[in-house]
Amino acid sequence: MLMLLVLALIAACLVPLVARVVGKGAGLIVAVVPFALLGAFVAFASIVERGWVRSEGWRWAPSLGLDLTFRLDGFSFLFCLLITGIGGLVTIYSGGYLTDKPRHERSRFLTLILLFMVAMLGTVLAENMLLMILFWEATSVLSFLLIGFDSRSPRSRRAAIMALQVTAGGGLALIAATAMIGQVLGTYSMAEAVRRGPELLASNWGAPIVACIMIAAFTKSAQFPFHFWLPNAMQAPTPASAYLHSATMVKLGIYLLARFEPVIAGTAWGRNTLIIVACITMLVAALQALRAESFKSALAYSTIASLGILVLLVGLDGPAASVAMIGFLLAHALYKAALFFCAGSVLHATGTGTLRALGGLRRTLPFTALACTLASLSMAGIPPFLGFISKEFLFEAQLESSWELAPLAVAVLVNAVMVGVAGVITLRPFFLAPQSEVRIEHGESFSLVAPPLLLALAGLVISLEPDWITRVAIRPAVAAVFGRPVAVDVAVWHGPTPMLALSAVVVAIGAAIVIWWRPLHVVLRRHAPIEQFGLERLWERSVRATLRLSAGLTARVEHGDLSGYLATAIAGFVTLVVWALWQAGAPLRLPGDDPVRLAEAAVALVGVAGALAAARARNLLAAMIAVGLTGFAVAITFMLNGAPDLSITQFTVEALIVVLLTALLLVVPLDAPTTRERSRRVGHMAIAASFAAVMFVVMLDMAGATNATPAADWFGRMSYVAGKGHNVVNVILVDFRGFDTLGETSVIAVAALLGASLLHARTRPDPVAARSVHFSFHAASRPLFWLLLAASVVILWRGHDQPGGGFVGGLVAALAFAVLSLARGVGEAARALRSSPVMLVAIGLGLAVASGLPSMIGGAPFLTHLWWEPGGGLPKLGTTILFDLGVYAVVLGAVLTFLFGLQREAAR
Amino acid sequence: MTILYALTAAAIMGAALYMILSRNMIRILLGLALLSTGVNLMIFLAGDFSSRQPPLIREGQQVLDEAADPLAQALILTAIVIGFALTVVLATIVMRGWRATGSLDVRRPDAPEQPDDPELRGPDAD
Repeated sequence: MLMLLVLALIAACLVPLVARVVGKGAGLIVAVVPFALLGAFVAFASIVERGWVRSEGWRWAPSLGLDLTFRLDGFSFLFCLLITGIGGLVTIYSGGYLTDKPRHERSRFLTLILLFMVAMLGTVLAENMLLMILFWEATSVLSFLLIGFDSRSPRSRRAAIMALQVTAGGGLALIAATAMIGQVLGTYSMAEAVRRGPELLASNWGAPIVACIMIAAFTKSAQFPFHFWLPNAMQAPTPASAYLHSATMVKLGIYLLARFEPVIAGTAWGRNTLIIVACITMLVAALQALRAESFKSALAYSTIASLGILVLLVGLDGPAASVAMIGFLLAHALYKAALFFCAGSVLHATGTGTLRALGGLRRTLPFTALACTLASLSMAGIPPFLGFISKEFLFEAQLESSWELAPLAVAVLVNAVMVGVAGVITLRPFFLAPQSEVRIEHGESFSLVAPPLLLALAGLVISLEPDWITRVAIRPAVAAVFGRPVAVDVAVWHGPTPMLALSAVVVAIGAAIVIWWRPLHVVLRRHAPIEQFGLERLWERSVRATLRLSAGLTARVEHGDLSGYLATAIAGFVTLVVWALWQAGAPLRLPGDDPVRLAEAAVALVGVAGALAAARARNLLAAMIAVGLTGFAVAITFMLNGAPDLSITQFTVEALIVVLLTALLLVVPLDAPTTRERSRRVGHMAIAASFAAVMFVVMLDMAGATNATPAADWFGRMSYVAGKGHNVVNVILVDFRGFDTLGETSVIAVAALLGASLLHARTRPDPVAARSVHFSFHAASRPLFWLLLAASVVILWRGHDQPGGGFVGGLVAALAFAVLSLARGVGEAARALRSSPVMLVAIGLGLAVASGLPSMIGGAPFLTHLWWEPGGGLPKLGTTILFDLGVYAVVLGAVLTFLFGLQREAAR
Repeated sequence: MTILYALTAAAIMGAALYMILSRNMIRILLGLALLSTGVNLMIFLAGDFSSRQPPLIREGQQVLDEAADPLAQALILTAIVIGFALTVVLATIVMRGWRATGSLDVRRPDAPEQPDDPELRGPDAD
């Protein structure tokens, strides 16, 4: 069975290849797939008719309880025959129906139909309930795609979304039921769930499971109060309506209910709920069927009524109910699909679907008229059609069940309305005289006529020659549903029985409805006791209210104010840290005794003063200077605590920030009045203060925990031995953690690219001459430039043994260019570089990467540096120099990209 | 002394955060620069803080004597440069934003979410 499904899936995916090439005959060719599957399933008949079950299973995701297990018994077999048989006819019919559509639309439709067929087969064959859910949801999604097939029409889109919301919502209920079953039983096998039903019901989850299964079934099978999606679903192309929304998909709810009937029957309220819901559905649908104006909506409401009958039959007890359910399922699938085909042919031929506007079509569409008549007779339950037999079964089931007569009365009434609807939809369009002339756009074709005729005739042939179908399909299906074999006697004539009398009553009332349909229809349309769109409106309103709620919530949560986001995030962070500290409960560790040194304390206080001044400053220039002050104070702090590398880097960076930000501050207004209301400022102050307090506590604890760090010790011991360098910081950067540094260098290179694209030279190449500067600065700038450049090279070169290195070197070199550009203009500084800064970045990155390659020749990992010590007073040479030079070039190029770009932009 | 430095770093970070919570983009930018300074100081405190000798191996020696923590310094060195790059990139974006919109306010710079989205209304049931 898995093989069949996989083959069908592959075939469905290949449809576009065929359908785009073949054109109009595509339907006939594609129909080979469903008919081949039908043949394959018929081959299983010998297994099924003996009452055996064919199972297949593969492990898929055992940890989830999800296995590829399939099970073919009589009930699934009947479904498979209907799905593949009607599927083949639908495919043929679609080929004729979609003649006006472009090829790609036709191929899309056929693909969706075949995919749907696979999903449908999967649903009825799946044994594992998780697997079944996958297929079940696939049918909902494909139904959505088919209803919304004409995606340009807003009505189609609305109908498609509504159908998806209702059926997928029911799918969620099914998922919930399955999850609960899995929790209670520890297995997702459907057969086991049904077998161990009492165990399910004995658990706390019994009632919720049954309720969820019912909701899933009622939504899928369009039962009150979820029925409103089905008439709207008639926006789908008619072949899809025939297939999905009448013959197969909507019966999945019945399938589910029938499978779980023993479990449902185990609750006190299960059967009652089914019967009450079914009766309400039948009455509502019958009423609406009489009010319906178009061919398809009359059929849609009669389908809802039929589904109600099926639910009623599941709800009734006794073997006769199972027999009637299976019989009616088969009969209904045959005649309703045929009638939908006829409705489609009428719609296709005339372009109008309103019943009152049609008439006299038997002359132009003779075969369609014949098929419609035959199918309607079956629907009306006139002997010797299959519909008559199934109706007899229905009444027999009701008489034999332990139920009172109310459902019987409803069934009689609803069946009478079905007779009426069957009469009207046949007589009105085909046989009565038209009120105005009906224009015919398309005639009949083989593809349009053969499918409905075949189905309608099947309804006749089965009732006259019932042996084969009874043996292979009906009897095994009944046995599968009822749980043990039941004697099934399919025959037209049973002699004078109470059921015959009821049938006569039904036909009599139905005839009256046909005769007085027009006045009845008009009266019902004028005074609607149940408002047709009431539930639909309620649904739409609730959906819209949900969307509004979500939009309102989003607008509140995503208000677009960065400050608000940050405040929330930081407040949350502080709360979490405080909570974590509270939970840890350990006493705070404090750093060891460490006397306060006056000079260093003064420097630190300058840093704090700068930070506070920056936060208070109204003027942006003042704020920048205050931030710089803190930066310099921290740089001195680094110097005083044995970190000369950090110190010179920080100094250079602070100088460069001043140069770069000045370019920005030249452009924007310097005076920045506060943007926050007073209350907000106070709140932010509180957040900032609590953040600082938390960080203070964390830092104290962290410093208190400090002990000898093995990593740092290792670097200290190995730096010279392995890395040939005296400056441990630099050796870590270029050698031990060289790969990290390469990554950081790449980040800077990417930042340079970003800057280059943001500050793309959209201005004139050399916009303005330098602003007038003091002549001494102008004169001193060139010597200063060369001096700084030379210093940067020295810093780079000696970095391995003394404080310095590529990062600092690059920054100092950038400072040299900054001096030049401040004194003599960007143009001159850029000319002094003799290359574009981005090119410098590229070269630098290339050098850094290349420096790691030579060692790979010797088999060592990338970035293992090599050394050559010639001795004799000559300096040692290593690939680290190359690496550091690369870093130097990247940093220089990146800074210059921004320096030149920002200064040019500012000068605009 | 360590406690004093911790206090310094905390104060710097607090002031920086207060600036970042502003709605003026340049104040945010300066606040980020300040924050990275404070965080660098914090990482410095996280390292071994007992010695004030630079981590340089003396001439003629093979291993490092008692000295400041080289690992923390290596981390901070790159952090300074990366923080600098971040500040500069931000400055560029602010500059372009100012050129494009003439505003330094971070509130809804582009207002991407239209509150009256027609999809939310939907067609009325017929």
